[in-house]
Amino acid sequence: MNWLAWIPFLEPINWFHRWWYLLLIPLAFGISVAYKAIRVPNLNRYWWQVAIMTTQITLGVTAIGIALALFVQFAIPALTR
Amino acid sequence: MASAFASNHMTQPRPEHAKQDPRPCNPAAAIMAWIFPGLGHLYLGQRKRGWLVMFGILFLFFSGLLVGGLDAVDLKNDRLWFIAQAFNGPIAFIADFLNQALVQKKPEELRLSMIGLGHVNALATLFIALGGLLNLVVMLDALYPQERHDQPNRRSDDP
Repeated sequence: MNWLAWIPFLEPINWFHRWWYLLLIPLAFGISVAYKAIRVPNLNRYWWQVAIMTTQITLGVTAIGIALALFVQFAIPALTR
Repeated sequence: MASAFASNHMTQPRPEHAKQDPRPCNPAAAIMAWIFPGLGHLYLGQRKRGWLVMFGILFLFFSGLLVGGLDAVDLKNDRLWFIAQAFNGPIAFIADFLNQALVQKKPEELRLSMIGLGHVNALATLFIALGGLLNLVVMLDALYPQERHDQPNRRSDDP
């Protein structure tokens, strides 16, 4: 992919396919920023709360991904054998 | 049995939160929250929360556009996703208009480089759809605003 030919916001970054799962981190961050802004009673420890929620989402989705991969790779072949 | 239940129900003291008046409804704040994310809370005087909501929703929206291009917002081809994306407000409709005008009307060979593929397209659509659904939560929070005593101009160590 020629980077000079890429027009941001008009063309997709299809060359990012290889690392698509890294997009989970900014996704979790954006969700946490908006959600915690209306959820926390006071904003003193807001960014700490955002960091915790971002980590929780990232680790939670990663754990679900690993569990599903193990299920598909090992459990289903064992059940269908 | 029914009368015993009714008399028991009548004599029970009501919980403390039930005695409080219901939260006032503020449709103007909810509409402003839809017109532009965060504007509803700015209108309610919750300035810091308003800016943070604006940052969060716009971060999701523009990250989605950056990853998936304008094709990530498509009323014609991804109608169900667009229902969620529409809660972002007029910016979602503007993005769809630009998509139809600048991408979808292009000849096939030019359009292929402007269309998101596979996981990248799915995640870009998801970014913007989740931003829209979060803005729906924000709109509901602005519709029934809570009493919050944020004082953005006050230092945290002030008494």
